[in-house]
Amino acid sequence: MSAQVPTSDLFRSEHLRRRTIVNKTIELLATVAALAAVAVLIIVVGSVVRRGWGALNLDFFTQNQTIYSGFGPRPASGVANAIVGTLIIIGIAIVMALPVGVATAIYLNELAPRKLAGVLTLAFDVLNGIPAIVLGIFVFVFVVVGHGQAAWKASFALAILMVPLIARSTQEVLALVPISMREASLALGAAKWRTTISVVLPQAVGGIVTGATLATARAAGETAPLLFTSALYSADTMTYDPRQPLASIPMFIFTSAEQADPVLHEQAWGAAAVLIGIILIASLIARGFADRSVRRLKGER
Amino acid sequence: MTVAQERSPGPAALVRRGRFRPGDAVLYVVTAAAAFTGIALLVLISDEVLREAWPAMQKFGLHFLTTQAWGDNNKTLFGAKSFIYGTIVTSFGALLLATPISLAIALFLSELAPRWIRAFVAPLIELLAAIPSVVLGLWGILVLGPFITGTLGPAIHGSLGWLPIFASKPTVGSNMFAAILILTIMMVPIVSSICRELFVGVPSELKDGALALGATRWEVVRGVVFPYARAGIAAALILGLGRALGEAIAVTQVIGNNVAIHADLFKPGDTLASRIAGQYQGADTALQVASLVYLAVILLVFSLIANLAAQLIVRRVAGRHQIR
Amino acid sequence: MKEIVIRRKRPLGVLSILVVAVTAVAVSVTTGAQARSSADELKGAGATFPAPLIAAWQTNYQAQKGVKISYNPIGSGGGISAISNKTVDFGASDAPMTPDQFSKCGGCVELPWALSATSVMYNLPGLPNNLHITGPILAGIYLGQIKKWDDSKIKAVNKGVNLPSLDITPVYRSDSSGTSFNFTTYLNTVSKQWKSQIGRGTTVNWPAGVGARGSSGVSGVVSRTPGGVGYADIAYALKNHLKFFSVQNRAKKFARPGLAGIKAAAQADRKFNPQSNELSIVNPPGSKRFARAYPICTYTYVILRTTSPQAALLKPFVTWALTTGQQYGPKLIFQPVPKYVVAKGKATLKKVHS
Repeated sequence: MSAQVPTSDLFRSEHLRRRTIVNKTIELLATVAALAAVAVLIIVVGSVVRRGWGALNLDFFTQNQTIYSGFGPRPASGVANAIVGTLIIIGIAIVMALPVGVATAIYLNELAPRKLAGVLTLAFDVLNGIPAIVLGIFVFVFVVVGHGQAAWKASFALAILMVPLIARSTQEVLALVPISMREASLALGAAKWRTTISVVLPQAVGGIVTGATLATARAAGETAPLLFTSALYSADTMTYDPRQPLASIPMFIFTSAEQADPVLHEQAWGAAAVLIGIILIASLIARGFADRSVRRLKGER
Repeated sequence: MTVAQERSPGPAALVRRGRFRPGDAVLYVVTAAAAFTGIALLVLISDEVLREAWPAMQKFGLHFLTTQAWGDNNKTLFGAKSFIYGTIVTSFGALLLATPISLAIALFLSELAPRWIRAFVAPLIELLAAIPSVVLGLWGILVLGPFITGTLGPAIHGSLGWLPIFASKPTVGSNMFAAILILTIMMVPIVSSICRELFVGVPSELKDGALALGATRWEVVRGVVFPYARAGIAAALILGLGRALGEAIAVTQVIGNNVAIHADLFKPGDTLASRIAGQYQGADTALQVASLVYLAVILLVFSLIANLAAQLIVRRVAGRHQIR
Repeated sequence: MKEIVIRRKRPLGVLSILVVAVTAVAVSVTTGAQARSSADELKGAGATFPAPLIAAWQTNYQAQKGVKISYNPIGSGGGISAISNKTVDFGASDAPMTPDQFSKCGGCVELPWALSATSVMYNLPGLPNNLHITGPILAGIYLGQIKKWDDSKIKAVNKGVNLPSLDITPVYRSDSSGTSFNFTTYLNTVSKQWKSQIGRGTTVNWPAGVGARGSSGVSGVVSRTPGGVGYADIAYALKNHLKFFSVQNRAKKFARPGLAGIKAAAQADRKFNPQSNELSIVNPPGSKRFARAYPICTYTYVILRTTSPQAALLKPFVTWALTTGQQYGPKLIFQPVPKYVVAKGKATLKKVHS
């Protein structure tokens, strides 16, 4: 083992009282830090809930935004088209990212020679670290310039974000599937592809769902790619066509936050509450699946 | 450990086996194509971004990095100096705040907390990581900003105003300090969750040995856990830094979008990512667009360096300690 | 030991159906690649300055003619780049396009379609509305030279007002803005230092203060910042209950950004720029005719492609906006455009075809 062996400066057994005080102080600071983090979370989520609660009525979910010109207080309407737009954009992104992510994981885990797998995994890890704003510029230059904005182009940008997450999560769960299962299938005469698809993959479904849900939770909140691909939407109409730019919750929050209208602010808080709600539910589902499938696979070893 | 590492079939093996199954070839080609999209995308993204930035790179060269200007001389002069400064100050400022907090939280969750508290607190901190940046930005504009101008700013200025970084009282909620706080809130969950796994992975015989020799818990952490996990902690911090470097939306909402360079954190500033987010949509001259993408190139270089550094550290550590 | 069941048909069958379905969806989605607006809808984007009036146009035009207009206020620069990139049917900008922008647009025309004033809003709790300010003072504030509200220069033009010793926070547009173009053009005429050091443009290097996106953003920051001062169309000041200055014009009178002030200022320029149809009415001369003129007024323009697939819907809309639509302006402090502007607009529209 190449670990560091503790050296002598631990063993001044005089000043025991001082060491105990230092120890207790550090423990206290650590506890305070953790509590502070939880406090910040409560403050942020609390602000969202407290300030957005008033906006969450039936109209909020069924009406679109209104075009308002006038100097009096703006009538509160809703974000129905933004919710639908987010669902469509994320839905298409999942359809784009899931096959690529799972196929990637299969290749890296089952088929590739080790060194190549290492290089390709590094490439995906680096891809994962590219800022979303740069991805937005890339997609803008690649498919938007000259052709127009569209929801599916936003999905494309989000899919680039999601693939590394799905691939990594799927890889981890594929690695947990016992070798014996593969060997038994091959020994019975099944082809490699049959083994992979009919034997190994079904075992990994839980992990794949986990990865997809976590990636979705991450993508649902991204605003930067949407700025370039789905920002010129019609605020007061409900559109389902993915070839048009669609309204979305993150864009609604972004544009409403910087305005001066308190009615828009309240709606932004409400939309933030909906967004956090979606992400929270997705994370809980993902965690539930992860625990279940990992426990099942580990239990069989 | 991947299965491939144990079996390493490779394409040759398929043929060697004697019976060539076309299904195997299809699987191989399809999945390999998917796996190569990672590299393909990296190449494509770098290529497209560099190509868009080329007019500005050609015109300004490397002087761009040292020029403090944006839109000067009738929109013929652009420079990245202010934004490089802003990016470094906000990201490293957040790193400075986030490091002790994240380490403390990781220690709390791995060493100190009883199991029931751990089960309760850990998911809450992960939830903090899941809050979208646009929501943090909304909170930053409407809650944190007024708090900084009303309470926190005057308090800090009152007690630490002799430091150049707190030299003035904040008059408006959009400033570098707000950006640093928001970035810290984003970094802490990422770094603390990685560090927590690292601390849990320290072999217990090392810790037990130190305890048996009479060390206090803190001394075990300082003398055993930190040295053992040192490289991993560095990787976690660099990953967090990479996240902060690239954050565009929340920062542009709270930083004030000013090109001047101040030591004073209570003044507005701007970062690379934030300036791109704020101006790209409305850039109406070709040179401005190219200059904004030049900023993206610089940002890409920064985040690639940070990312690669973190990944290489992780791989070296994984090789040594057999952690996946 | 777990039983291994090789499920023969189902995963493979499911997989192939999925592949076919995804491919079908992908093909249908991407072959309709052009973001073509649906029938009976016009898509526009651009300046936030005219957005209040355009909003009134949207509701009334749809009620009268059944055609839907959608408009995204992303700033004048955004409007110019959107119409150049063909992502919208019309762009709106308060800044006239430069020859370079016209060539990059590749066959575009620009014409003025609305007229209003850029108000200078301030947040000074407890003080009355319409305090006095001059151009040189504004330049000094935005240069960062005049830093407090009780500066002697400000006190000199506001005798009897108890100005507080509060820091001034100038607020400017961080995005590419025609209102910035208009405001900086004004500062150019009143301050040699501004002209030589900063100049005018939709984006300039603002030496002091904080930036905000859109006229709404500027209004928002000013309303949240005691001591803040910012510039935006007068409709935003009124909408957000912000106080605004009476600005001294060349006739040495302090003029308000109301309909009378705009109407007087509009007399300052009747000669259209040959390419962009720009009319520059900033800081009119000091003669008696312009005694009431507000010095920071601007026309705002619509940009169209000469070859528009939606020309059949676009031309009636712009004609309507120039004529019937102007009646919705005064309530929002948009002065109806003079007859010669309407005539010029109609003449320019003849160049647009499908």
